[in-house]
Amino acid sequence: MESRLNHPGRLAAAVISALCKVLVICIIAYPFIWMVFTSFKPYAETTVYPPTLLPRQWTTEGYAKALEMVDVWGFLKNSLVVSLSVLALQYLIIIPAAYAFARCKFRGKGFFFGIVLMGFMIPQQVTFVPVYLMFSKAGILQSFWPQILPFIANAFGIFLLRQYFMQIPEEIIEAARLDDASEPMIILKIMIPMARTAIFTIGLLSFISSWNSYFWPLIMTTKDTFRTLPIGVAMLNSQEGGRLWHVLMAGNMFLVVPILAVYLIANKQIRKAFAYSGIK
Amino acid sequence: MSSITLRGIRKVYGKDVIIPDLNLVIEDGSFTVLVGPSGCGKSTTLRMIAGLEKPTAGEILIDDENVVDTDPGKRGIAMVFQNYALYPTMTVRDNIEFGLKNKRVPKAERDRLIAEVCEIVGLTPYLSRKPSALSGGQRQRVALARAMVKNPKVFLMDEPLSNLDAKLRAQMRVELIELHKRLGTTFIYVTHDQVEAMSMGDNIVLMDKGVIMQRSSPKEMYHDPQNAYTAQFIGTPPMNILTQMVPGAWVGFRPEKVTLAPAEDAALTIPGRVITREQLGAEYQYSVDTAYGKLMVKTEEEAQERCLLRVRRRHLYVFDTDGSRAPLTPELLDRLAALPREEVQP
Amino acid sequence: MSAPKKRLLTAGRKESLKGYLLIAPAILLLSVFTIYPIFYLLHSSLHDGSLLSKKRNFVGLDNFATLFGSVDFHTTLRNTIIYSVGLVAVLMVLATLFAVWVNGEAQKRLNSVTLAAVFTPHIISLVSVSTVFLWIMDPQIGAINFLLRAVGLSPFPFLASSRTALASLVGMMVWKSLGYYSLLILAALQGVPKDIYEAASIDDTPRVKVFFQITLPMISPTLFFTTIVATISSFQVFETVNLMTQGGPVNSTNTLVYQIYSDAFKYLKLGIASAEGVVLLAFVGILTILYFAFLGKKVHYQ
Repeated sequence: MESRLNHPGRLAAAVISALCKVLVICIIAYPFIWMVFTSFKPYAETTVYPPTLLPRQWTTEGYAKALEMVDVWGFLKNSLVVSLSVLALQYLIIIPAAYAFARCKFRGKGFFFGIVLMGFMIPQQVTFVPVYLMFSKAGILQSFWPQILPFIANAFGIFLLRQYFMQIPEEIIEAARLDDASEPMIILKIMIPMARTAIFTIGLLSFISSWNSYFWPLIMTTKDTFRTLPIGVAMLNSQEGGRLWHVLMAGNMFLVVPILAVYLIANKQIRKAFAYSGIK
Repeated sequence: MSSITLRGIRKVYGKDVIIPDLNLVIEDGSFTVLVGPSGCGKSTTLRMIAGLEKPTAGEILIDDENVVDTDPGKRGIAMVFQNYALYPTMTVRDNIEFGLKNKRVPKAERDRLIAEVCEIVGLTPYLSRKPSALSGGQRQRVALARAMVKNPKVFLMDEPLSNLDAKLRAQMRVELIELHKRLGTTFIYVTHDQVEAMSMGDNIVLMDKGVIMQRSSPKEMYHDPQNAYTAQFIGTPPMNILTQMVPGAWVGFRPEKVTLAPAEDAALTIPGRVITREQLGAEYQYSVDTAYGKLMVKTEEEAQERCLLRVRRRHLYVFDTDGSRAPLTPELLDRLAALPREEVQP
Repeated sequence: MSAPKKRLLTAGRKESLKGYLLIAPAILLLSVFTIYPIFYLLHSSLHDGSLLSKKRNFVGLDNFATLFGSVDFHTTLRNTIIYSVGLVAVLMVLATLFAVWVNGEAQKRLNSVTLAAVFTPHIISLVSVSTVFLWIMDPQIGAINFLLRAVGLSPFPFLASSRTALASLVGMMVWKSLGYYSLLILAALQGVPKDIYEAASIDDTPRVKVFFQITLPMISPTLFFTTIVATISSFQVFETVNLMTQGGPVNSTNTLVYQIYSDAFKYLKLGIASAEGVVLLAFVGILTILYFAFLGKKVHYQ
């Protein structure tokens, strides 16, 4: 290593490489930085040319306006209701299913797993019209259910968890059976703790995905009572007359900051979770 | 403490008959070792006693009660697995306690039992550790403690020492023998290692292809094999069995019972040529080429390249051509004595 | 237990029953929200009728005939394919180069920070990304044109011109997704056994040759799978179109899912929208079959 860096050509290459990496970081970070600063600018300053980065005059006018134009707190609450409901309810569905696919013998297992794989591969962009009509027919379009029900049979979750359950050595389950543990006890005390990485991963991916979701709530909701934050923030954009950049950015801060905060704390785990999602 | 009876046990996987018809009584308080090559059905037998596999037919009696339909957890047995099968997310203490909790043993009683057992196996300082923070030997002890704490009627052990290094294995062997003496409980121990079987068991069951080849004490196993299979399975290197020496009978003798020096009372003398020589501490192990095939010799004597292997009468074993033990008749002795004693020069 | 009852519940049947009970909720939900809608989609693609009315008449393949006879739909398909191919090609090349770049032992900390940073946009809502890029790509006051002018170049029209709008969307998605695909490729790179590189360095193989003759072949299965996944996901582009261009200017960014959405919910043409859905399903289906065919092969040979 030392000797390699002593070579002047190599040293220069290393410095250039490092500088380029810093440049890449800046390119990635710039939109975020601009968003934060713009949310604290007065309207006039958002449209000046040449653009400023730091606000010349700091103000929370954008935030006040955003809160006034749409019910940010209401949308935020709805986002939490939807995201957390999906997060919690899916475990009730996917843990038993993954367990059965990994550990039980029954006829038609391949066929049923095929259904899971279908759920995994068929995007919601294919099925949204029929699903909308179904909810409409069932008369529950005006509720949170259309945003929760289709997501709790998380096919990716079943798939990932099944892999984990299959890797648990048979002897450990047998040891538990010899310890007189009942089946639910084995799942609860042995299998779930041993698959906690997968369970955490699934939860993380599911939360991020439902928090950010725009397409689905756009189609499934017509009333603000059930709409989530991405819809609320997008509504700021579609106001008539020129874009109020400071208001838009203030609104987006509500959407971005929670996710960024989680990412700052757990960036390694989140990247690992998404790397798992790549097995899709 | 209990006896175990296997009656007419048959186990079939798909089309493969693993065990055709097994009958075995394991006495109360014995240290019984099931030994045999891999695939001989010894592990399957153990797992059927545990209740982890169901026999295709037959009865398993623990204390005269048929347990074939009893759940593994309700049979009053404990098992130690080859790879320990510890619960990786639980501490040592939780591992040991899990079975007691499932049996709803009161907290005070649990604490007492755990303290007692951990004292015996020397785990007390490690109670709050996870298995991943323990050495192989310590994990083995956790597995033992987890079995002991249930105070089972029978201990089942499936190759429990095969994941340990040689030194630790020897040490654990002694500890297990001591443990058996101390508890006086029935131990059923599965291994493929005949040395382990011979040194630990007071009762050895040698199996091959689902059939019991011989069942006896270690001493009898060695000195009085009932068939050629047993004779060759027990002992290192295995017994020399000469199938081409005299028509209609196989003649066998153990490598360590060969004398190279002249012996007046030798019943059999075979000329041979030493091919290889291995030094095993005080002894040598020779591979000797003879007119009847390659033979092994284990002795403290130094051998010349050309030598005569001499075997005394009491060290000779005779088998029928189907492998079963046959008596050494005077007529056969005469025929052996008449064999050429000098190498035929080409 | 009485004898006949015992026969009904043999251990095997009990085990089967348990399995069915455990998977039942998941299978039910997946059937309702994935399997049934596919049949519904196929069915309604062969019927006419509006989203709001109950009356539907069988029209055979008329909806498909209408679609493939329409110039607008040709534009939509072309846009979707150009977007998809362009985005996936740029992403794969850049992500591979980036992953190789940040994979070295040297500058380990900086590499890790760079990767963490580049991944960040992937977990940010498309709503926020679109909004910020509306400003960054604004022809008058946007940051990019400010830079272009500063170095004496002429400004770029971005979303304002039908010639550059689709490419602008591609560029934005490269910014958003580069980190994710780099992450997947990096995992593959780190799975390449080190001794292969050591052997190459003993042979004094040039770095470019190492990349093309060792690295690339070793990660090619991952590249293949990642390409398919990226293609499937890029085919579903909707959010950015809806938020930034509404398909314009002059239909230049109208893509398949946006068209389905418009036809179903703006024009209430259920039959046509369903036929378009079937087209999307066919694309996804072909790519999925390709994926699993190759997966089966790979598993087979390794």
